[in-house]
Amino acid sequence: MTAAASGFAVAFLGLAAGFAVGSAFVALLIVLDIVPRLVQFTRAHRRSWAFESALLAGAMYFSCADFFRWTLPLPNVALLAPAVFQGVFVGMLAAALTEVLNVIPIVTKRLRLKPYLFALLMAMALGKVAGSLVDWLILQAK
Amino acid sequence: MDTTVYIRLRRRIVVPPEAQIRLSDVARIVADPEWERRLLPLPVLRVRPEDGHLLVIDMLHIVKVIREAAPGVAVETYGEPHTLVEVAKDGVVKPRRTLFALAWVLLFFGSGMAIINFHADVNMPEVQRRIVRLLTGNPDWHPWLFQVPYSLGVGFGMLLFFNRMLSRRWNDEPNPLEVEMFMYQENVNHYVITDEYRKKHEREEEGRT
Repeated sequence: MTAAASGFAVAFLGLAAGFAVGSAFVALLIVLDIVPRLVQFTRAHRRSWAFESALLAGAMYFSCADFFRWTLPLPNVALLAPAVFQGVFVGMLAAALTEVLNVIPIVTKRLRLKPYLFALLMAMALGKVAGSLVDWLILQAK
Repeated sequence: MDTTVYIRLRRRIVVPPEAQIRLSDVARIVADPEWERRLLPLPVLRVRPEDGHLLVIDMLHIVKVIREAAPGVAVETYGEPHTLVEVAKDGVVKPRRTLFALAWVLLFFGSGMAIINFHADVNMPEVQRRIVRLLTGNPDWHPWLFQVPYSLGVGFGMLLFFNRMLSRRWNDEPNPLEVEMFMYQENVNHYVITDEYRKKHEREEEGRT
């Protein structure tokens, strides 16, 4: 096989793999209803393009930065922004996942705990916060 | 004179606080022109501050209002049996810009982290080196030829899913995100309407005892 042909094959494979990953990624986020929730929050109806561009830019920039080692000379304080936002994003992802799986409605219905719904939600959120803190500060401290 | 009034309620209206809602705000009606002129400005409901920012106007209430103003007309109803009224300042729902900027940044960093997480999870660098080795037989070559089309492919795949190229659409179909947003809003409306009916019912029960 000539170098050009194999190079073309590699590039084609890369494009195909990217297509699969990109559309699967979006499909997952859509199934989890994260964007509709944000749209409701910000009352930005009929502006889905703005949200799509955020997802697109994030995925493209960070996969390129990851592969090609694009480093930015930012001070340590700049870490605060991605840290907070990524934390919120993972939190939303986790909450959305439990919602899609109907965990809470089933638990509250079976155990007749509807009046304590808010306390249950708080328990889940606090549990996640405590678990994350214990994990990072104690279990994976070194 | 034909005394039938055909009426279809709007699904959702936005009004300023303490607005006087008239029949023309909540419904489209088809009737004899004389009747239309008389019925459209009828007051249906005045929004009170204690009503909160979402309320429901029931078709039965509308029918009652029409029958009081014009006894003897036959009312034919179509479409949804209720209108959802949203009370907002100045009668328009304004997008919240700060929150919107925060949401944009949230999605940017979030999707970036998710894609890196995925690559780490499936050990993507090793897979890429292996694919390049299998196809080219060249073991020590940085697989940029794979990575550049891959990164572009991620973007194209997402665009394909969102059904558009930049701001131009490929066709008139709504994209899955828009459908999902619509379904979400529908579910919220459904919940609000059911909940408002429940509250109304409870108030009536209390009033009776």
